[in-house]
Amino acid sequence: MLSSPGQLSTLSMPKPSAVVPLPNRNMYLNPRLQQGDTGQIGNQRNEEVKKVMDILVRAKKRNPVLVEDSEPGAVVKELLRKLENKELGLEGPLSNVQAISVEKDFLLDRNQIPTKIKELGGIIQSRIKSGGIILDLGDLKWLVEQPVGFGGVQQQQVVSEMGRAAVVEMAKLVARYGGEGSNGDHKLWLIGTATCETYLRCQVYHSTMENDWDLQAVPIASRSPLPGMFPRLGTERILSTPIDSLTSLKSVSIRQPVLTQCCSENLDTAQRTTFCPSCSENYKKEVAKLEAIEKSFSEAKPEATRPSLPQWLQNAKLYSRDAFATDESQDKDQSMLSKQKTQELQKKWRDTCLHLHPDFHRNICSDRTAPTATLSMTSLKNQTLLAHQPFQPKLQTSKPLGESLQLNTNQVTSHPAGGPPGSPVRTDLVLGRKGTESTPKKTTEDHIQDSISSEPQTKFPDKFASALDSDSYKKLLKGLMAEAWWQAEAASAVASAITQCRLGNGKRRGAGSRGDIWLLFTGPDKVAKKKMASVLAEQICGASPMLTCLSSRRDDEESDVNFRGKTVIDRIAEAVRRNPFSVIMLEDIDEADMLVHGCIKRAMERGRLTDTHGREVSLGNTIFILTGDWSTANPKDAHLVDEKKLATIASGNCQLGLVVKEKSAKRQGNWFSDEDRATKPRIEVGSGLLLDLNLAADNEDEIDISNNSSDLTIDHEDVLGLENTHLSITSVPHELVSNVDDSIAFKPVDLTFVCREIKKTISVKFSMVIDDNVPIKVEDDVIETILGGLWHDRTSLQEWIEKVLVPGFYELKTCLPSVGGSSKVVWLVIDSESSPRGNGDWLPSRITVKG
Amino acid sequence: MGVVEEAHNVKLVGSGDQTIVLAHGFGTDQSVWKHLVPHLVDDYRVILFDNMGAGTTNPDYFDFERYSTLEGYAYDVIAILEELRVKSCIFVGHSVSAMIGAIASITRPDLVTKLVTVSASPRYLNDANYYGGFEKEDIQQLFEAMQSNYKAWCDGFAPLVVGGDMESVAVQEFSRTLFNMRPDIALSVAQTIFQSDMRHLLCHVTIPCHIIQSMKDLAVPIVISEYLHQNFGGKSIVEVMQTDGHLPQLSSPDVVIPILLKHIRYSIAT
Repeated sequence: MLSSPGQLSTLSMPKPSAVVPLPNRNMYLNPRLQQGDTGQIGNQRNEEVKKVMDILVRAKKRNPVLVEDSEPGAVVKELLRKLENKELGLEGPLSNVQAISVEKDFLLDRNQIPTKIKELGGIIQSRIKSGGIILDLGDLKWLVEQPVGFGGVQQQQVVSEMGRAAVVEMAKLVARYGGEGSNGDHKLWLIGTATCETYLRCQVYHSTMENDWDLQAVPIASRSPLPGMFPRLGTERILSTPIDSLTSLKSVSIRQPVLTQCCSENLDTAQRTTFCPSCSENYKKEVAKLEAIEKSFSEAKPEATRPSLPQWLQNAKLYSRDAFATDESQDKDQSMLSKQKTQELQKKWRDTCLHLHPDFHRNICSDRTAPTATLSMTSLKNQTLLAHQPFQPKLQTSKPLGESLQLNTNQVTSHPAGGPPGSPVRTDLVLGRKGTESTPKKTTEDHIQDSISSEPQTKFPDKFASALDSDSYKKLLKGLMAEAWWQAEAASAVASAITQCRLGNGKRRGAGSRGDIWLLFTGPDKVAKKKMASVLAEQICGASPMLTCLSSRRDDEESDVNFRGKTVIDRIAEAVRRNPFSVIMLEDIDEADMLVHGCIKRAMERGRLTDTHGREVSLGNTIFILTGDWSTANPKDAHLVDEKKLATIASGNCQLGLVVKEKSAKRQGNWFSDEDRATKPRIEVGSGLLLDLNLAADNEDEIDISNNSSDLTIDHEDVLGLENTHLSITSVPHELVSNVDDSIAFKPVDLTFVCREIKKTISVKFSMVIDDNVPIKVEDDVIETILGGLWHDRTSLQEWIEKVLVPGFYELKTCLPSVGGSSKVVWLVIDSESSPRGNGDWLPSRITVKG
Repeated sequence: MGVVEEAHNVKLVGSGDQTIVLAHGFGTDQSVWKHLVPHLVDDYRVILFDNMGAGTTNPDYFDFERYSTLEGYAYDVIAILEELRVKSCIFVGHSVSAMIGAIASITRPDLVTKLVTVSASPRYLNDANYYGGFEKEDIQQLFEAMQSNYKAWCDGFAPLVVGGDMESVAVQEFSRTLFNMRPDIALSVAQTIFQSDMRHLLCHVTIPCHIIQSMKDLAVPIVISEYLHQNFGGKSIVEVMQTDGHLPQLSSPDVVIPILLKHIRYSIAT
């Protein structure tokens, strides 16, 4: 039915490819799409078409102009297609109409438009006999806009001249054919589209047009995919011509961001004060990281910005300055985006900080009013920055944020962030862990590590409900410290974790009252882990722990004969069944196979363990300790070497002896007196220790880093972060950490520290028994022997000193001449002559004394 | 704009001799590629689209029967390529779309010259001789959780899959697109994915395949990449990235994008 008269073209199509596809042309097409155009494009469009039809059949104001910003022409196209195919099944005036599209012709030469409209009159005259005619005017912007590239006032004059003439001519046509014409039927309709802006301009420039043309504006809602959720502007924008979409964007979207911005600013200032210094430090690091990421993307291809990219794509990178004027609004969007991100970060750290440093927040409460005042000033500044520098990208806007935070932290650092000074429990704890505090390492320790390590002292005792709880905590901590004194932080963490769980405050516990406790020991120090497990078992269950190695490379010495031929899971199940009040240590969970892993995971979640026969056993009050290394491979190897070395030393034939000698060189004397000064810590790097201390010292840094990244009390996010991605192999699996009651990180053993501690303890004991004036010298290989023994024996250092060393001292005291003690030196040496020690004991069981 | 393009929100960006199709996985839409696209537009013609059932598509078009197998999605891909008259392309598929791309390449070997798979798995359920990472009961629980409270399920599922906590940008982004899906459609899609078994089809994939995989991925154990490598009919290469999560292109773009670009640009050496 559609015919093209003379120089006038038929319906204008945006693209040749967009011809409505014939059914079955594409054999892979979704059948639902094939019915598509007739009724499936969505109810919305159908409704709009219907709305337009209603207007067309009216007597007054019957020429619709579809005002829409997103898809101009789509509804008109749909309508005309339906009219052409007679799909609407209408009776009456619209039943037989032709459409004539004029837009293309008009656009060819704007100055000729009035003439063309006159010609059009002739055509309509000739064809109107056969039925109605709909003039598709297309986008009305030809009426109000000048052709691009001509510019200038004069040109504009000409154009608006033309526009006025066109309006007059068209009005004549409408009056002639459209009105209550010769036979009463409406024969001519106009239909057009316009963006909101175009239509407003039409009303301004051609004030009579709306009446003369008998127009009715029809607002068309833009089709957003899901109402309410996230209106994705970009998806529609891309469909329209660039100029059009961007102008509309300018008019609509600028105001909104600014408004929301204000709100979020205000929110910011209210919440911003809630950081402690260490957390804000971390926060700033992450902001910097975020900036770096965004910058890297924007720098990568700044020239890649094209107007043809959808908006969500442009968000991911920097727009170029030479783009176009409407960048301003996009810029705002972008800065909004980055602002959102920084706010998100801020919120995260606020929560983390609240969680980690409750004391800080208590302190800050009273001081909150003062910083707020200054901060609102900075945020004001922030906003003016935004407004005045529209071409400064987001990187700029997030910086002031960081600065204002800095300001904030400066104000609060004067408060003690560590905790309330007057807590009575704290002093007790400090006594118990004095060893760590005197280490030189502590001072050089990483900031984060520090904040974490000080955390258990301040945080947990406050939470204990009664004195009883803190008593059991102290007892446990004391036991743990006696056995594994070189892991002071871990010991206090274990003690508090156990106490918490016993009180029913475990992380995992929701409403259920489960008795089983799951702890995760991470880090390289196997010995300390084992020792702590034994202490736990002894104190809580009064028995020794069950040790099970989950890795395939099982140490032969530990495999129990009873368990041969059974799977690991069966062994655990049996152990639990036999004694539901036990401590079970599952070693090397990081090397366990998937099956075991999954089984243990399910057990953690459900509180029941299923063995290979499908029998379930309730976990009762069992304490499970999962251990794993998760540190980088290299230091681990080095550590294994260390342990093996210790084992060979300890298994060697060595008895200790006490020998009295004359004090000789002066230099040595100085050395001794240094040794006596226990308060001054010495670093004995070059003291000829056989163990490779340099190696250990080198490795230490690396291990510390990996511990940080895997320590989940700090932040798991770090693992995803930029710097740590190459270390992600070392991170503790998320599902493990989220399921256990607590995870405790063990630091690698600091051999220097351990050796010095041993020396110190011996010399203190010696001076107590014998005399302050007689120094005792302990040879390095002796220390090594003791260390080796400690590593493998069940006895602790204190026990061994009391049992073995002290009787030796007393024996020595009897032979030591009472006079002239100051000229004598007592040596603790390896006595190779005496008989080999009894089996079973790793530590020397007797000391020979030679006067 | 044809119906297919419109229905799938097809977007054509960039220009170049070669065409790249970026296909998103379950619970996301084309915006999952937002970090990658800017790096491609200068050298390639990039086709972005939404799989049917994604939150951005019209739910009316979702034919539950057609999309009960991955073939339905593969036909959609071919339909899009035909509609756009694409003669050949490099197909970059994430998660389930990698397998969709594999099916498409089997159906129409002429259309796809190279397959780049990100976090792909031919089978998610464990088997006697196969480790897919999920037990049947796990999956059943997952479906039940989806049915009972979709919003809550999204909130729990997103951090697990992305591998971060609820606060991270990537998790927020994923939970947004995940929640955009209509719950019944999401359930149906999830069922289709988890019940799909592509293992027997892998040998028919004769085009070169680049298998890219996160070090740690809840949905896809690392052994899968090796399995794919062993079983693809054509040449293949595996790269395991030091990233965490099932959507590395969203959670660690800094690591993933250089790797993806490398695999898109270069072919496997002969």
